[in-house]
Amino acid sequence: MKVLVVDDSKLARLSLIKTLKEYEPSAQIFEGENGAVGVELFKIEHPRIVFLDLTMPVMDGYEALKLIMEMDPKAQVVVVSADIQTQAQERVLQLGAKLMVPKPINSDKMLGVLQQLVF
Amino acid sequence: MQESEFSADHLDVLKELMNIAMGNATASIADLLQAFGTMHIPYISVSDMNGLKSFIEETIPSNQHYYVTKQLFGGMFGGEFIFVMTDKSAANLGNYLYDITTPEEEDILDAVIELTNILSATIISRLTEELNIKVQFFVPSTEVMSGNALIGVEETLNYHKIIIVSTQMVFQSQNVSGYIFILTKGEMIERLRTLIDQKLEELYA
Repeated sequence: MKVLVVDDSKLARLSLIKTLKEYEPSAQIFEGENGAVGVELFKIEHPRIVFLDLTMPVMDGYEALKLIMEMDPKAQVVVVSADIQTQAQERVLQLGAKLMVPKPINSDKMLGVLQQLVF
Repeated sequence: MQESEFSADHLDVLKELMNIAMGNATASIADLLQAFGTMHIPYISVSDMNGLKSFIEETIPSNQHYYVTKQLFGGMFGGEFIFVMTDKSAANLGNYLYDITTPEEEDILDAVIELTNILSATIISRLTEELNIKVQFFVPSTEVMSGNALIGVEETLNYHKIIIVSTQMVFQSQNVSGYIFILTKGEMIERLRTLIDQKLEELYA
C-alpha cells in the first residue's frame, strides 16, 4: 500500500510513519515537506491514503487538498492538524477530506483511520 | 549554551510542539470569540540579547501603542510568556467581547487579560504536557507601551542566551490579532534540550 505523508515537520512525519508501521509494516511511504511537494508526489505515485497537515510553508494543506481532489475526486485524504477548530474541520471535509485527526497522532487514532479507510 | 548545541531536530520538535499548542489555544479563543482564527507557522530561534532586539524591531512596528501582557512560568521548565497586541486590536477585542461601541479602558484591559490568560495557560500547558512535565504560572501583568518602549524594557532584554518562540494569533473578521513570544534562558534552555532529547529518543526507539 502506498501512503503519502505531507507535513513540514520532520518530527510529525516520523511520528506518523512510526505509528502507521505498527499496523502496516509493509506500507510504501512517500514524504513531502509542503503542500506543493505533496501534490506532485500524489500525481506521480497515486497513493492509497494521503496524510496531510494544514499549516505549511509554500502551499498550505487547504490548497493542496483542493488540488488533490481536483486530480482525483476519490482520493482518500486524512487531514492531520493542530488546528482543531470546528470551522477548520468543516472546511476540510467540505473540500473532500475523508477524515480530520487532531495532532499528535497516536496508535488509537491511526487504528481508527485505518479501520475506516483500509481494513 | 551555544546555538550549535540546539540542532535542527531540536528546533523542529519545538516548532511542532508549539504548533500543536497553538492549535489548542486558537480553538479556545475561537470559542471565546465565536469566530475562526488563522494559524501561522511558529518561528523558533536560539539567540542572544541583540538577536531578540533585532527580532522585536523587525516584528513589532515601533510607531504604535501596544498592550503588553507578561506572565512568568516555572517548574521543570520555565520562562516568560509575552502577548503583544496593538491598542486598536485590543479596543476591537473589548468592543467585541463586551458588545460596546466604545469600550472603557478598564474593559479593554480586562478583555486583554482574559484573552492572555487563556492563551498562556493553553499554550504553555499543552507544550509542557507534550514534554511530560508540569509548570506553575505566576500572576500576569499588563501595561500599555509604544513599540520602542517594548524593545527597551530592561527585564525583557535581560537575557544572555534565549530561545525565541514566536507566532501570531489572527481573527481577521473581528480585527483582533496579536504577537506571542515565549522567552526562556540559561539553565532552562539546557533542561528544554534534555526534554526534547527524551522525546526524540522515544521517537527513534
